[in-house]
Amino acid sequence: MIEITCNDRLGKKVRVKCNPDDTIGDLKKLIAAQTGTKHEKIVLKKWYTIYKDPIRLSDYEIHDGMNLELYYQ
Amino acid sequence: MGSSSGKKHKKEKKHSHRSRSRERQQRGTDDDVTLDLTDDSTSTRHRHHKHKKHKEHRHKHHKQKERERPSEVISLEESDSDSSDCVEVPIEQVAKARVRESSAKERDVPTREREIELVRERDTSAREAPIRKREPSAREREQATRERDTHVRDREPPARERELSTRDRDHEITAPPPPQISKHLDYERERRREREIERERESRKRAVKERERGRGNSRSQSPIAPHQAHRQRSHSPKGETSAGRKRGNRERESGRERERVRSRSHSPIPENGAGDVLSIAETNKLRAKLGLKPLEVDTGSTKPASASGDSQQDSKRTGADKDLSSYKDEWGEFLHKPADNIKEKKEAEKLREKLKQRKEKRFLEERLARIRTLGESDEETDNVAKWVDRNKRVVNEREEALRKAKELEELDEAFGVAEIMEEEKKKARQLAYNDRNLKGLRVEHDMDDFGEGRTVILTLKDQDVLNEEEGDTLVNVNMLDDERYKKNVSNKKLNPLSYGYNVYEEQYDELGNPIERAILEKYDEDIEGKPQKRKNFVIGENVEEEREHRRKLLEIKTKLAGKRLETLEDTHLKLASDTFSVQELATFKKPKKKVKKLRQKLKAEDLEPIEEPGSSNLGSRNRSHRHPDEDVPMKDETKPEIKLEHDDDDLERVLSKARKLKQKENIIKKPLPLDVASLTHNVKPEPVDETSGSGEIVLGSADSNIVLNATAEFCRTLGDIPTYGMAGNRNEDSNDMMDFDRDEALDEHMDTNMDEPTLNHGTWNSVNPDEVMQPADLDNLGDDVEERAILDEEPDVGAGVANALRLALSKGYLEKEEKNRPSNTKMAHLQAKNYSIEDKAAGEDDKIGRRDRFHAGPIMEFKDKETFKPNVKLDYIDDNGRILNLKEAFRYLSHKFHGKGPGKNKIEKRLKKMEQDGLMKTMSSTDTPLCTLTMLQQKQKETKTPYVVLSGSNKTTAGVSGASISKFK
Repeated sequence: MIEITCNDRLGKKVRVKCNPDDTIGDLKKLIAAQTGTKHEKIVLKKWYTIYKDPIRLSDYEIHDGMNLELYYQ
Repeated sequence: MGSSSGKKHKKEKKHSHRSRSRERQQRGTDDDVTLDLTDDSTSTRHRHHKHKKHKEHRHKHHKQKERERPSEVISLEESDSDSSDCVEVPIEQVAKARVRESSAKERDVPTREREIELVRERDTSAREAPIRKREPSAREREQATRERDTHVRDREPPARERELSTRDRDHEITAPPPPQISKHLDYERERRREREIERERESRKRAVKERERGRGNSRSQSPIAPHQAHRQRSHSPKGETSAGRKRGNRERESGRERERVRSRSHSPIPENGAGDVLSIAETNKLRAKLGLKPLEVDTGSTKPASASGDSQQDSKRTGADKDLSSYKDEWGEFLHKPADNIKEKKEAEKLREKLKQRKEKRFLEERLARIRTLGESDEETDNVAKWVDRNKRVVNEREEALRKAKELEELDEAFGVAEIMEEEKKKARQLAYNDRNLKGLRVEHDMDDFGEGRTVILTLKDQDVLNEEEGDTLVNVNMLDDERYKKNVSNKKLNPLSYGYNVYEEQYDELGNPIERAILEKYDEDIEGKPQKRKNFVIGENVEEEREHRRKLLEIKTKLAGKRLETLEDTHLKLASDTFSVQELATFKKPKKKVKKLRQKLKAEDLEPIEEPGSSNLGSRNRSHRHPDEDVPMKDETKPEIKLEHDDDDLERVLSKARKLKQKENIIKKPLPLDVASLTHNVKPEPVDETSGSGEIVLGSADSNIVLNATAEFCRTLGDIPTYGMAGNRNEDSNDMMDFDRDEALDEHMDTNMDEPTLNHGTWNSVNPDEVMQPADLDNLGDDVEERAILDEEPDVGAGVANALRLALSKGYLEKEEKNRPSNTKMAHLQAKNYSIEDKAAGEDDKIGRRDRFHAGPIMEFKDKETFKPNVKLDYIDDNGRILNLKEAFRYLSHKFHGKGPGKNKIEKRLKKMEQDGLMKTMSSTDTPLCTLTMLQQKQKETKTPYVVLSGSNKTTAGVSGASISKFK
């Protein structure tokens, strides 16, 4: 289990627990459950890399305690 | 191991915590709960940074210990409980030590029932706690409880002390968080703690001794009487009021709350920086709703905060999971399959692998065991007799088989099977399609395309079904392709501009027969749609004969061409030798030496026979009128050995002399009266012949002997056209004049020519051009033959100076100036005497050195330069063709260069000057430029007086002034 912090710098900051073999899409759903935004509207970014839905966190090398940028589309 | 010990320790800690809280409850102090809460929260939050403080704290306590021994234990215990959170390993030791201690104490613990009660209580609380699954073994638990109880008993701190400790804690809460603790620091701390533990142990022993001593005394007498009283009040089970129980419940509730908070707070992300967080349980619930698998909590070896109580609880839970095969969490929703032990798995795998290898090995060994090696003895091969036997058996079997086959054959023969077979074969052969069937088929290829000994597969050509008259034709597809290719190539070669017409097309075929070509046959295919006729032959039609015929034709042709055909068969091989045999030498022809004809005595027999004049064809004057055939017999008459050109002058001379003699004789013999017309027609010789010198050959002119000379011939053809009119030989009158005496004169002229001692004409390039220039001047011919022969007409010296000058010039007394050119010889005096071009080159070479070695020019002296004396003159000519002097030339170039001409005035001025110059040049030297003299003479002629009267004021007669003349004019 890893825990990831997602922050849009507009006031929403959530910590999400997830498995490393979850996909980004799953993570988005979890985030959506916590923040209340639709998961389709969520964009996760790290610098300029937009994380794609079908790819696993471990494949993106997202580790415990990492901070992801939360954007909305 | 570590984790388990940690767990144990944690439990202990929890127990201690609970017991402490209970103690407080029992004490019944109002502030207890709140204080406890704060304490807990701070302990969880600032666990890490507390350590230092605690250490100090502990030090203080130790000092205190020295001072007041009974109270030191409690304080120590407290510090322990707080600090033990962080480090796992040493705490185990601590625990052990405690256990030991407690076991030592066990004997003399007085209030056992109370303890049991406490334990029971704790058990219930543990059952209430949802997370804690595994309870320590009873013995362990008991030990722990006992230990704690003793501690509790011993450790009742004095009020003052408690206050102090709480104050301390308050202070800790407010204290800012220290920086992260390094591992090194941890290690240091551990060591220090060990030391402390040792000290503690000693101190405890001492304390125990004291207590024992004290127990012997009455409790009231003890110095810690108030504490004891307090403890009694708080710890007695009977003294537990309902209010206290209520409070305890509340306390438990709050503890649960705290636990939840703790379960949330486990994460690598600091709590103060985190936003919205869900607990694992909540997350799992959410995940279940989303259709995701639950979080993999047990694999969290990555968790850095394993020391924290919550993580330990988690791990404990997983341990419990393993024990109870099925577990439902708080909500009763999940059933986890226990994770596989990777180590076990690996071991099993290893074992399996090993077994497999063993099996393989065994199998291989078995197989190898069956194979007989070389070294092993084999009784069959070793025994000779046996080997022979076996071989014999094989041979016998073979023989048997052969015999059987033979027998079968015999049987077949007996029944006549073989004959039948033979007949059938024959039939089949007869039926088969062979060359007989091919007879009469047409092959659409040239026969020569089929090489000897080459197999060509022919197929029936595609043809129109209705077109039956042509019959079947055979073609080879590849050859057809080749032909098409050839045709394409030839088409490509054709010049597109000449529309397929080839000038150089062969007119004759290989046998020399002319090839028949239709007009514009290249269009035949396009217009008529008929393909061009191709070479073909019919199978079975005397192909061989045709070939033979062709071969013969070819042979003839080559013979005609002068080639020699040699057959390889006829030449017999001979041994090569370095020398020729006599026979061979005899076959050699000696190369004919060119015999130089030295002066041969001319004999009368050598001269060509002179024919009768009547019979001979005397060349007509007009060559154009002559029939070309007439020349042929003449040529035949002239003997081939007569050479037209001779180096031999003497011979030539002699010959001509003899000829003339004969001619004369002929003339004498001839009857003088002749038909005039025929005579003139016959006699008139070629004009060139007459004038030509002695180098010519005379082939009977009057009497069939015409003298031919190469130069003369050449010149005649040159002079023919221009001299026709000038010579005046166009009219018949002049022809009439040509008669016999002219011939005589001619002969004379010739004689004189011959007799001239200076005559050196032998070669044809020394012909006098002047003679040639007037070849047909027949009118003058009779008069001054001699004169003309040498020089042209000599100008009359008496007529004037000009003639004299001309004469002088022609004689060479005067040298004609060569067009004012500064010739080399003329300027020779200007040339440097001791300086040559080579010198100049050398000087330059010295100067330039090696820098310009490769451009310096030839090192060797250029021989041709010796005679090379260039004559250079630069002339500048203007647009009108006038030669410019230096100044003018410069001006001209300058104007050209700058692209700007002179002004209008200047041009006018120059033109004027030029005009004047022209006038000056044309002006006669005997007169003034204004021609006053001629005017004067005219005037005199008019007046017919030898003088001219000038009107004027002064009456001078002689003076002729320009002014008066102008007036007169």
